[in-house]
Amino acid sequence: MALWFLRGLRRGVITTRYPARADDSATALPTPPAFRPEALTRELADRLCLVCPSWALTRNGDVLFFDAGACTACGRCREMAPEAVTTSGEFELAATNPAHLVKRIPLLGEGSS
Amino acid sequence: MTPLPLMYGAAAAWALAALAVLAGGASRPGIRAGCVMSGLGGAAALAGGVSSLLSGNSRVVTAGGSVVVGSLQLQATSLAGVFVALLGLVAVATAAFVPRYHEPGRATGLYLAVYNLALLASLAVLAAGGVVTFLVAWETMALLCYLLILRRPRRDDVAGGAFWFLALSETGFVLIVAAFVILAAKTHSMQLDVIAARAHLVPGAWRDTAYLLALTGFGFKAGLVPLHVWLPEAHPVAPADGSAFLSGLVVKLGVYGIALFAFRLLPAGPAWRGILTMAAGAATAAIGILYALNERDIKRFLAYSTIENIGIIVTAFGAAMTFWAYGQRLLWAFLLLAGLYHVANHGSYKTLLFLEAGVIEHATGTRDMDRLGGLAHRMPRASVITFAGTLGIAALPPLNGFVSEWLIFQGLFQGFRTGSHLVAILIVLAAATLGLTAGLAIYAFVRGYGIPFLGMPRTRRAAAASEAGQPVAGPALLAVACVALAVGAPVVLTALARAMRTVTGVALRPVLLPGNLTVIPAHTKFSGFSPTYLTVFLLAVLAVPGLIYLAGRPRADSLIVPVWDGGLVTFKPRMQYSAMTFSAPTRVTFDALYRPTVSVRRASDDPAGRSGPVHYESQATPVFERYLYRPVIRVFEWLADFIRPIQSGDVNLYLFYVFAAVLVAYLLGAL
Amino acid sequence: MKPDSAAACAGSAARPASTAETAEALRRSVARQFRRSLHIRTLDTGSCAACEQEIRLLAAPHYDLHRLGFFFTPAPRHADLLMVTGPMIRAFDIAARKTYEAMPGPKLVVATGACALGGVYQPDAFTHGGIGETLPVDVWIPGCPPSPLALLQGLLVAVDRLAEKVQDLTFIRSGGHR
Repeated sequence: MALWFLRGLRRGVITTRYPARADDSATALPTPPAFRPEALTRELADRLCLVCPSWALTRNGDVLFFDAGACTACGRCREMAPEAVTTSGEFELAATNPAHLVKRIPLLGEGSS
Repeated sequence: MTPLPLMYGAAAAWALAALAVLAGGASRPGIRAGCVMSGLGGAAALAGGVSSLLSGNSRVVTAGGSVVVGSLQLQATSLAGVFVALLGLVAVATAAFVPRYHEPGRATGLYLAVYNLALLASLAVLAAGGVVTFLVAWETMALLCYLLILRRPRRDDVAGGAFWFLALSETGFVLIVAAFVILAAKTHSMQLDVIAARAHLVPGAWRDTAYLLALTGFGFKAGLVPLHVWLPEAHPVAPADGSAFLSGLVVKLGVYGIALFAFRLLPAGPAWRGILTMAAGAATAAIGILYALNERDIKRFLAYSTIENIGIIVTAFGAAMTFWAYGQRLLWAFLLLAGLYHVANHGSYKTLLFLEAGVIEHATGTRDMDRLGGLAHRMPRASVITFAGTLGIAALPPLNGFVSEWLIFQGLFQGFRTGSHLVAILIVLAAATLGLTAGLAIYAFVRGYGIPFLGMPRTRRAAAASEAGQPVAGPALLAVACVALAVGAPVVLTALARAMRTVTGVALRPVLLPGNLTVIPAHTKFSGFSPTYLTVFLLAVLAVPGLIYLAGRPRADSLIVPVWDGGLVTFKPRMQYSAMTFSAPTRVTFDALYRPTVSVRRASDDPAGRSGPVHYESQATPVFERYLYRPVIRVFEWLADFIRPIQSGDVNLYLFYVFAAVLVAYLLGAL
Repeated sequence: MKPDSAAACAGSAARPASTAETAEALRRSVARQFRRSLHIRTLDTGSCAACEQEIRLLAAPHYDLHRLGFFFTPAPRHADLLMVTGPMIRAFDIAARKTYEAMPGPKLVVATGACALGGVYQPDAFTHGGIGETLPVDVWIPGCPPSPLALLQGLLVAVDRLAEKVQDLTFIRSGGHR
């Protein structure tokens, strides 16, 4: 009997093998943004905070706080500033502590000290 | 002891009881004394009934003798034995029930006197050995029951219900008289024994006519569809013990009449008689339970359930007659036995349920199921006793209803032994109808017990119900009787088989109870079960979870948390099933039978949700009253209108009538 | 199992470090108990049902959570894990509390989707804006909606079959370096 048949019986033909094997299919879906600190200025950061519909971005001094938990991956921040924001491709975002989801992005762009 | 002296004793006790309550009904001790006498009479009747089952037909006792009305003829027969025993049981139970139920007073004294005399009259019907005795006792019993129903004549519907009872009872009586007259005339005797012995001499057409008249006449009293319309009108308006007596015993007198004609007076008959009886019984059973499902009033519901059970009994009798016509004597005797067993069983649990309905009515002030709920916590004893009765009437093992219905079904399933395909199919159809009925009966009694007793109270009065001071002994005795009739099935069956030996000449006991505990439905290789083992098995099955719980009880402290209710903020009683919504599926499925008329009235024309209160009313069409009785009544009203001019009030016209009558008589005499 | 309740179980008069260790040990033992057999009860506290669609896909052949020993159950009495979506509208408080309390311990709570995590809706008269203040949450799964793989990862993190990954992510892309 063909081994693939037995394998199919055991674990399904179309079933994903996650978590035993990595499955990248979810990276094609909208994922939270990744930021380029060199491109981020204070002004840009403020505009990004205003455009986020989910209050995921807040600026405090020279740090942009990004709450990955609040992010809906709508893409508006990336659409506004594609040179500073790109998609992260991360989907394995489960956290045991909400603090783990709040990320500090330093503002290293020109125009900020 | 021989049965007749016991029956005399019962009669004397009941007569004394009637006098006692007439004299002392205004005081509690007076009522109590009367009830003690009544109970003693009941015990004597119970003993007499059992004794006549076992000892065969007694001699005929003749008393008095008059050219005009004949003489009083009494005979204790085996066929009547079950009915007499049931009468005794009902009398004892109601005697225990009455002191706490009725308020002392002159009206109560009168009522109880009438009741005891009705018991006496019923005993006379069952012990009648001659036609005249039977008819006089029957009519007396009917009139006394009419008075029983009229206990509270000024309440709504009482007069109407009593009138329906009387009218249909009299109509049936006319037919019964006709049936008896035919037989008495053709056999030249007024004594039932002699009629039975000479019945084969009567020409077949007369025999069949007599049987049909008897079936219809007694069918009025028994409650066969469409002759049943008085039952749901009369039972609810009578007081609880009166309803219990009516349902527990009086309709059984109709069944006794049918059995008398079918098995004693005219046992030899063509198959179509049996098939007709069986069909009538099956239709009665199905229609009875379907109408029961549409009722909110507990007593009307129980009244329709009585109709259903009468249908089951009559189906058994009809099938028995059919089997005889095809030479299956064993099954003939077996189905008669099964029918009589069901008579005893139904009498015990239906009486119980009606008595408990009275308790509920006293405790909550209402008979409407949709105003009750949660009574199991507030009236624990009543709920346990009613549960026993409900298990019985729903024919759930291990109680008595199951045993007798199993026997009837097993008899019906052997229809193939008749040898005729058509008849076998008809018998199977009857069995299928009874199967439908049994399923609907369980449904109906889940509703009949669950809505009032379980869940949350739907009104404040239900929440305030209390069973303090309510009668318990009477219904409890009947509950014990239900269990005894089930667990003691071998004993009961032995006694009934002995009676069958007398009535049918068939020795059933060896085939019915080959071992001592297993019941075989007449033919060994067909089936069998043991009520005793079944009871033991069920108790063991129930004990297993109990033992597991005791053995595996959690060691750590457990939390007591509220029941998971789906996360509701509050649980309101109106969120529960109501009696009518629970039975809505049958109304939808069988709406050709109910033909409901629906009226919906809105307070305003605004769209739904903003239109204010909506009044929804759905009423089943009373098909029998409208399509059968109304036309007949209208014919008689027309006839009466037509004849009225004769009674013009003119003396001269009346004198002319006298002259015309004399002339006609003279001419007739001369020719 | 939250550290504070674990601390309450562990008793008083212990060095704080030991309490945390006990709490962690308790948490791990609970997670180990649920490792390969977990019954999940979903709770919608006012979501748009996109998360529910993704959760429903978990039972479909492509993702098939049954192969991992996870099952959905409607009865909180049978549930080990409460999977909550939606921003916890205030009208649902009582029902959510009753559902949580109807679950026998030990139990886990997983907040699913951006709404439950505090995004999308700010607290106002109608909604709490997140489930954090109503229920004790063990695992937070971001996404709008989180894809079924993200949900699987979250559930596996809850029962200690996968390590949490997000605390090491920076979401910073600087010229080739992740």
